[in-house]
Amino acid sequence: MSLSNLLGDWSKYRKTHEEGGFHDYEHMWGMVIDLNKCIGCNACSVACYAENNLPVVGKEKFEKGQAMHWLRIERYWDEPDLGESRVSEYQHHGASYVPMMCQQCNAATCEPVCPVAATYHTPDGLNAQVYNRCIGSRYCSNNCPYRLRYFNFYSYYEDAWPAPLHMQLNPDLSVRDKGVMEKCTFCVQRIRTVKDKAKMDDRPVMDGEIQTACMQTCPTTAIKFGDMLNLHSPEKAQPTDVSQLWRKHQVELGKHTQNKQNKDLRGYRIHEGLNTDPCVMFLERVREV
Amino acid sequence: MSLNNIKRRKFLKIMGWSGAGATLAGCDMPTTMTVQEGKEEVVSYLSPEEYVIPGVGVWYASTCQQCAAGCGVHGRVREGRVLKLEGNPSAAVNAGKLCQMGQSALQTHYNPDRITAPQIRSNGALSSASWDEAYDLLKKKIGADSGLKGNRAAWVTGNVSGHQSVLIDAHMEALGSSKHYTHEVINDSVWQAVSKDMLGVANPRVRIDKAQAILSLGADFLGTWGSPVQNAVEYGSFRDSPRGALIQAEPTMSLTGSNADLWLPVKPGTEGVLALGIANVLMSNHGVKNIPSQFKSLVKQYTLEETSRITGLTGEHILFTAKTLKERSPSLVLAGASAQGHENGYEIVAAAMMLNIVLGNLGKTVEGGTQLPFSQMMASEGNTRDLLALADDLGASKYDVLFFYGTNPVYSAPEALKIKDGLKNVGFKVAFSMFNDETTAEADLVLPLASSLEDWGTHVAAKQGARSEVSIQQPLMEKIYPETMGFGDIMLSLLKMQKVDAYAGFNDYYSYLRNAVNNMPGFMAKNGGEAWKEAMQAGSLEVKGRSLNVSSKAISIKMSVPADDAQYPLTLIPSARLGLWDGRHANLPWLQEAPDQMTKVVWDSWVEIHPRTAAKMGVKEGDLINVASEQGTIKAKAYIYKGVNQDSIAIPIGQGHKGYGRYADGVGVNPLQILNPAVDKKTGELAMFATRVKISKAGSAKDKLVRMGGSETQVGRKLAATISADVFERTEGDA
Repeated sequence: MSLSNLLGDWSKYRKTHEEGGFHDYEHMWGMVIDLNKCIGCNACSVACYAENNLPVVGKEKFEKGQAMHWLRIERYWDEPDLGESRVSEYQHHGASYVPMMCQQCNAATCEPVCPVAATYHTPDGLNAQVYNRCIGSRYCSNNCPYRLRYFNFYSYYEDAWPAPLHMQLNPDLSVRDKGVMEKCTFCVQRIRTVKDKAKMDDRPVMDGEIQTACMQTCPTTAIKFGDMLNLHSPEKAQPTDVSQLWRKHQVELGKHTQNKQNKDLRGYRIHEGLNTDPCVMFLERVREV
Repeated sequence: MSLNNIKRRKFLKIMGWSGAGATLAGCDMPTTMTVQEGKEEVVSYLSPEEYVIPGVGVWYASTCQQCAAGCGVHGRVREGRVLKLEGNPSAAVNAGKLCQMGQSALQTHYNPDRITAPQIRSNGALSSASWDEAYDLLKKKIGADSGLKGNRAAWVTGNVSGHQSVLIDAHMEALGSSKHYTHEVINDSVWQAVSKDMLGVANPRVRIDKAQAILSLGADFLGTWGSPVQNAVEYGSFRDSPRGALIQAEPTMSLTGSNADLWLPVKPGTEGVLALGIANVLMSNHGVKNIPSQFKSLVKQYTLEETSRITGLTGEHILFTAKTLKERSPSLVLAGASAQGHENGYEIVAAAMMLNIVLGNLGKTVEGGTQLPFSQMMASEGNTRDLLALADDLGASKYDVLFFYGTNPVYSAPEALKIKDGLKNVGFKVAFSMFNDETTAEADLVLPLASSLEDWGTHVAAKQGARSEVSIQQPLMEKIYPETMGFGDIMLSLLKMQKVDAYAGFNDYYSYLRNAVNNMPGFMAKNGGEAWKEAMQAGSLEVKGRSLNVSSKAISIKMSVPADDAQYPLTLIPSARLGLWDGRHANLPWLQEAPDQMTKVVWDSWVEIHPRTAAKMGVKEGDLINVASEQGTIKAKAYIYKGVNQDSIAIPIGQGHKGYGRYADGVGVNPLQILNPAVDKKTGELAMFATRVKISKAGSAKDKLVRMGGSETQVGRKLAATISADVFERTEGDA
């Protein structure tokens, strides 16, 4: 690519949604996370550890940023420090919690940089990671604006599950070895199970039939998961919960800025302006004052 | 009274259903039971059935035992192993949801530090033994011929209910013992005492979902107060449009506080004044006239200015709170740990309860709940007055034999109570335990328990949901360690040892429970008397109870606030967390590595210090701090933030274990150690939040305070965006 070409195409490059990946999607799995309801309690995160064979790394490795929490609860303060007189002495409005898992971007920045195509887009609209193919270049992690990819710096199977803790490991998915990148899969093993069952019953996958581990345990029902694709198959004329919420909040896939008719609607996607086209919509936190 | 009647009564008592009373008298009850009935062979539910397909998970219903809330769970079992727990959608307590502690029950079960065989103390140290040796020792020490006087034996447990409670009672009766201490650090016993006195019921059902405004004085209802998952489920509806407002007043931010619309850093011990001050504003600004006469003079005394001065809160915030409570009806006022843990804790909670009466919340957001008909099965709820009583009685050498189950007083009692020394006065201490913890380490005989996922049980949650239930706990897999034993099984053996004939017919706890459930009053008509299968599938038995009503009864109180102390200028807040809880979950690696909700610290203890206090001392985050009370000094790293009152410091409880396994040992400190043994004068509860301390620098720490995330703010990025409630109502009202 010459510089002149690059500059010539700059506006196109920056403004339109990246073409690529699958266009004949079977599903488009998406989420809605309501920050009005999220209480930051960690249930989702621990459920994820249980479901997805995530190793506990210990304090030293955690300090180095090697924790493997596919789903982490980020916590922010409005004004963490004291400042001029206008800044309040206390955190009067509490904390802001954001559960962050792989955003399953449709124009994922991690995908094109993988030298071995270990991360790619599935016909389900998922950003998949093929562990067998991964060579551990970590380019994907470097390119993820959300910092949601986790690298196995060690062979955790050696000591992260001393017997009999290893008996809890979920046989539906692997324990990843040293040198492999991993991340949230939207509980692809659960998706797989339900899809297989639906296929055997010769019927479409029903809305609500698949629950990710985080969604299932969330005490306040802040997390919703479902198919956002209801255009292609006539049997899905009934829009799913999640797709209805996206529509209601006037957030559309395939855009880097939303042209909302009602600007006050709470739906937004994080780092949308980077044109990553994430499949997770957040609903803004609400405060009284 | 006919002979049949007597037999029936006795039968009901053995089976744990006594107390059913007249309401259930009409139902069809068997009056006798053959021995044969009790001798059912346990057919392992894991022996291959048609529906067990290799590679396909099967779900079984059970009840979570990670705290006393009694959430229903579904366990996924595949190839004989339990792999995952989910909430049971049909459970009234938790409606299919589960917290991080519930998720982590798997790690309690598969924990690598479990006790795998009985242990007997010989030559000062505990060493492994066989069950035969254990039972021989028990027979020698407590058997019918041991010469043990019943009043020289007692039970010490955590929260316990259902048939486990029935068997403990039967054992005590057989021994002739009358003392059962129930100790829990995390409790709402002052709230219960006040509810009993002012509303007529000890456990009113609070309706977070129905409230339009909540003022919580230190009740961390999303984390550690009441039934946390049930509360959080209701909180989900509370935040739907019309969205309820949450105001939390507490000296250090709890999980609930961090979700509040307005968080008020009230000075510790002045929560009662705040409640009275709010009543004052309601009276003077909002025309509220129904202040109970017993409270009137107190309410008049705490004017806005006076309340503001004492509590350290701005008048604006107090006015806003009063206005919100008044305008958004029905409201709900709660009081929890940090409000009740003072020498006048009862009065503080009573002042809060008075607001519920004044605001007309009774019957709306504070309901009477349901009285279950089975008094024998009801939960013995833990508290700290039993801990204090135990300390006294140990000091007075009252006991020769103690049984410990589900509580760890050596860890959780302030050192001033000298529990560990007191235990030396007890000749024979039996610990029923899954783990070697601080209390088990003092025992003379350790009986290794099966995990909650390997054992049978029934539970009656103190905080029942919309429907009243007896929850069923069933094993989700075979025992990992063959030498461990279910609690009920051991209890039946102990009862047989005491030659209690009534229980002789039951080979094991399973057959006892099955018999009990099938003979549950009121269930006979269903399924041709076979309630068991239904109970196993549902994970619970629905019980028709008597609806209770709340009726207000004002009481007279006085109000006082803690005096300043120049030598010990700060108040120590030993805050509790959904996670490590009272320390029992410190041996679970998932929970150690789950960042603390507010501070995001992992694998450590810390001292929460307000930036003003820290600046005065020149302390930075991670610096080591000495925290000294009259009772002793502990050292922990500083965490500086604006979520703690300037007159307080906070140290979360749960860490600082010695001998609690590889994940807990050597991590952090235990602030409970240095608490003063002061008590709430009315209820006798430990005043846990009233200990004064001084702090000083202790140099730099060996290791860092490790926490998740590098940035405390969003640095202008739209990560967690916020809008006002007005806009929310405008766009999503009627949603």
